[in-house]
Amino acid sequence: MSSFSGTREAFTAAMMELRRKDDKVLFVSADSLKAMRATAFSDEFPESYVEVGIAEQAGVAVSAGLATCGMIPFIGTYAGFLTMRACEQMRTFVAYPNLNVKFVGINAGLIGGEREGVTHQFYEDLGILSSIPNFTIFTPADSAQMYWAIKEAYAIDGPVYIRAGSGREVDVYDKETPFSLDGFRILKEFGKKYVVFASGFILDRVLAAADALHRKGIHIKVVDVNILYGKHPDKLADLIKEADHVFTVEDHNINGGLGSYICHIASELCPKHVDRIGLHSFAESGPAKELADAYGFSVEEICKRIEKYEEL
Amino acid sequence: MTNEDLKRKADYLRLEAVRMVYEGKDGHPGPALSIADIVTTLYFDEMNIDAKNPNWDDRDRFVLSKGHACPILYATLNDKGYFGEKLEHFSLRALGSMFQGHPVMKKTPGVDITSGSLGNGIAIASGMAIAGKRSKKPYRVFVVVGDGELQEGIVWEGVNIAAANKLDNLFVFVDKNNWQSGGTVEGILGSNNVSERFHSFGWYVQEIDGHDIAQIRDAITQAKKQKGKPNVIVCSDIKGKGVDYMENNNAWHKGVPTDEQYRSAIEQLGGRK
Repeated sequence: MSSFSGTREAFTAAMMELRRKDDKVLFVSADSLKAMRATAFSDEFPESYVEVGIAEQAGVAVSAGLATCGMIPFIGTYAGFLTMRACEQMRTFVAYPNLNVKFVGINAGLIGGEREGVTHQFYEDLGILSSIPNFTIFTPADSAQMYWAIKEAYAIDGPVYIRAGSGREVDVYDKETPFSLDGFRILKEFGKKYVVFASGFILDRVLAAADALHRKGIHIKVVDVNILYGKHPDKLADLIKEADHVFTVEDHNINGGLGSYICHIASELCPKHVDRIGLHSFAESGPAKELADAYGFSVEEICKRIEKYEEL
Repeated sequence: MTNEDLKRKADYLRLEAVRMVYEGKDGHPGPALSIADIVTTLYFDEMNIDAKNPNWDDRDRFVLSKGHACPILYATLNDKGYFGEKLEHFSLRALGSMFQGHPVMKKTPGVDITSGSLGNGIAIASGMAIAGKRSKKPYRVFVVVGDGELQEGIVWEGVNIAAANKLDNLFVFVDKNNWQSGGTVEGILGSNNVSERFHSFGWYVQEIDGHDIAQIRDAITQAKKQKGKPNVIVCSDIKGKGVDYMENNNAWHKGVPTDEQYRSAIEQLGGRK
């Protein structure tokens, strides 16, 4: 495994290794080569780099065409330019025929889009894709998980969306920990009364909250949900059943993403109240950390939301 | 096949398309008849395909960007033997049928790509053509696109990409019948200067009568000689061509013939064989 820092760099590192083994692996760029930190890939494999210019809809359509001919295109660019601008192409020409195209959406969440502002902050991508059949949705929590997520996406024959950031992600995982195909991983298990499901680049804050609460005598369990609408909702249901109080934390609108997924499992398999922490509005420009703090993701705020239940 | 043979085949397939709509009581006969001569020439004279092996890696690809014209494609695939024994009835648009309202690649053998959402065909075909170039395969990609759908922005994204990638293995036929769902192309959105637009993107452009088999064949021959540029053949067509009450009558963009109209179509298209 090569060394890298950041989810985009992890993407390129994994892509180089995949391409060395399989010349059907392509990178499709919508003038996103630099944004994806993928110039090393195009330098080493110019014949495996397809440039479509600033044209995401055609980029996805081209990727669909490539996939019908046995290629394995990875198209990577800003999350919303894929899932919103090219939503129909992702649905009708990739998901419906179940073609082998991989999508990497960068600048996801307000931590990903941060100072660019709302036009480049994407907190609707997961909600959009969760209503389209055949998509596998990966939400790696940091750069090491991103590296393994790209490898696992390659191993799946069908459309996969992988959520990526913009370099503001905090590494929380050991480099060698594989991307869980169960769709979740328990990262802290101080107690059973509270279970907090988190996904994506918010995980470091949730882990810090778990430690802070632990010091105060409140013992929570933290679960990283790295695949949305994965194959084992029953296993997540078991975790929900064990807890008195259930929380979700995601850098996404509270509708359509992790919170909706967990509510869906809780309501169908193990009825229980779920407290969702996420975005309720558009955000604004700002440095990633300040922005996350201002919009409800500070460690203190997460702790408060959980502590409230101690009084009940 | 001679030009005359192809002409007769096209009329036979027209009748099959009309029958399919008549029996299914739904569908788009006018757009199907408009492109019958192009599709027939491609499938019976030009394309390197094997109906018994529809997923053959090296086959030529066909993209029906204007997917609503699919009755002519279904009739063609049936006649070529893609469905084994020739089907007597199509069950167009019926529940459980392999003949969906618009083409679906994983339901119908021989359909190379799902289509029907207008504007997407050239970009998808560009992906197929790029795959051919990158993997050094000899296949070509043929596309039929309507003149109305050229109003979609993604068309020109695809046109740009094809030119930049020098896709001389890509052959686009524009079915220029000057009609779209809501009226004439000029009436809906001004000029229909197809050739100038493709030319300005760096494509090799030809203009022909899209109902003249000899001209279609000549244009393909000419296009194949060009190197380094994608090809567009702008075809002057008549929507509903071959059935007098459908010709240039946009009521037949989507419509079902009565018993009497169906009998008239049979007569005009050379009878059931």
